[in-house]
Amino acid sequence: MQITFDKVSHIYGKGTPFERLALQEISLTIPSGSFVGIIGQTGSGKSTLIQHLNGLLSPSSGRIQLGDVEITSSKRMPHVRRRDIGLVFQYPEHQLFEETVAKDVSFGPLNFDLPVEMVESRTRESLEVVGLDYEAIKDRSPFQLSGGQMRRVAIAGVLAMQPKVLVLDEPTAGLDPAGRKAILEGIYRIHREQGLTTLLVTHSMEEAASYADYLLVMADGKVALQGPPREVFEQVDLLKQLSLDVPETVTLVSRMNQSLPDNEHLPHSLYREEELIDHLLKRLSVPKER
Amino acid sequence: MLQNIAIGQYVPGQSFLHRADPRSKLLFIILFATLVFLANNAITYAVLIAFTLITALLSRLSLSYILKSLKPVWILILFTVVLHIFITKGGTVYYQWGSFTIEEEGVRQAIFISLRLGLLILISSFLTLTTSPIDLTEGLERLLGPFGRVGVPVHEIALMMSIALRFIPTLMEETDKIIKAQTARGANFSSGSLLRRAKNLIPIAIPLFISAFRRAEELALAMEARGYRGGVGRTRLNKLAFSWRDSCVAVAGVVLLFVIGWWRS
Ligand SMILES: Nc1ncnc2c1ncn2[C@@H]1O[C@H](COP(=O)(O)OP(=O)(O)OP(=O)(O)O)[C@@H](O)[C@H]1O
Ligand SMILES: [Mg+2]
Repeated sequence: MQITFDKVSHIYGKGTPFERLALQEISLTIPSGSFVGIIGQTGSGKSTLIQHLNGLLSPSSGRIQLGDVEITSSKRMPHVRRRDIGLVFQYPEHQLFEETVAKDVSFGPLNFDLPVEMVESRTRESLEVVGLDYEAIKDRSPFQLSGGQMRRVAIAGVLAMQPKVLVLDEPTAGLDPAGRKAILEGIYRIHREQGLTTLLVTHSMEEAASYADYLLVMADGKVALQGPPREVFEQVDLLKQLSLDVPETVTLVSRMNQSLPDNEHLPHSLYREEELIDHLLKRLSVPKER
Repeated sequence: MLQNIAIGQYVPGQSFLHRADPRSKLLFIILFATLVFLANNAITYAVLIAFTLITALLSRLSLSYILKSLKPVWILILFTVVLHIFITKGGTVYYQWGSFTIEEEGVRQAIFISLRLGLLILISSFLTLTTSPIDLTEGLERLLGPFGRVGVPVHEIALMMSIALRFIPTLMEETDKIIKAQTARGANFSSGSLLRRAKNLIPIAIPLFISAFRRAEELALAMEARGYRGGVGRTRLNKLAFSWRDSCVAVAGVVLLFVIGWWRS
């Protein structure tokens, strides 16, 4: 589903002394099927931006186009269309409430009146996507799980709605490295298998580099930079100004290029860890002709 | 969604009212509340209304914001007005339609009661609008201080109050977040039968309770970890001090007392 923002602004607490301009005339287009990484300092408006995607917040001005649905300050999102957009909030484990894991995951699909048999199979599938064993966990209380398991259950609760657009707000914050990787790999897999459009808000440049094919850099309620990761990572100075770092792979490549002769420079497109390692291994194993 | 329900939420500022001592503001409100109940004719009410308007000016907050922030209260007042007009009987009959009448006493009561409620709520909202929760509870603690000697746990009461005040906005925010998260999962809070709507509150209430308890526990731990062990021997970072502003408040109080006492019938 293609997503277009046209000069979207959002003001919190309009007309009160607490008024705050959180988004400022944002315009962007996200083509269907892309995996977008959204990065930016804390308070830059990332969460505000993504809450516009399923009408939880309405723009104060401007226009949003989600597939064939249009949202403006006066035009709200129809309830049934919320299903198309799966939104995983920051710390989603705080929204668990059911007695059992299976019931909690099926809350979403049942709200959209899907037949019961279908709901069960979806619940099973989505728990498996996030790396949980359905049979072992389905009857446990979500409140007896570890923090990381709760997070996965909550994410599964959104996946079970089988949205066309998946939006995740820092899904890995506060998890251990193995847990992070497992969750992101699961998401990346269904992103490809089901042809989703995925938006991932993250503070980690490494995560953005490994999965995203398009990056949005937010600063002060504006999009400071956008483009394919390769182009964004070239703007090292601008990123530094925004207190953001480039991934270590990018630093490594540019450091190595400083000491390599011009004709042996590593290409800048090597910002993904695996690709960089493969490339380096290949160079090392092919004996150099002198 | 919920930010609009900020009844008397503190708005930082530097106005006369902001900088007056919380103790004098508290005492003044007690006096004012008494006067509101003593007032019983048009002149005395006019004086009180005029005084409330002056207070609004002194707070340097926009009147429209103050009135808007009290929106839920207006509904309550409107409700009492309607009740009184229809139910209280006596005096001349203004309007009759079958067995249904609007009578003089009803209208009188409706006007007075709504004025009383409105004035009380307005004046006390000025207290919370211009006093930070910390100052407010400290003022209260100092005022109640003498009761501490007869065994009233003044410090604990004040602390409970300040924590409660401190967490109202946090819980509001939390509620807002949970409502949004469940809405994103297709929960629909604005349609269906009454029973169904009540049921729909479960996905909000449970996470909210859990998070409130979690917060309470974390706060208790954090306070203990930083050496909190009750009010005994605790010193203050900012000591309250009276200034010329508080003399003004005192003078205003005395004047108001005499004016109302003189003109009430
Ligand atoms: N409910 C709200 N009411 C008022 N202001 C808000 C609200 N939510 C966010 N803001 C303000 O809007 C700005 C953008 O907030 P937002 O939550 O979108 O930031 P973020 O980029 O998601 O930050 P983080 O990385 O910390 O999650 C912040 O300055 C914040 O203070
Ligand atoms: Mg955020």
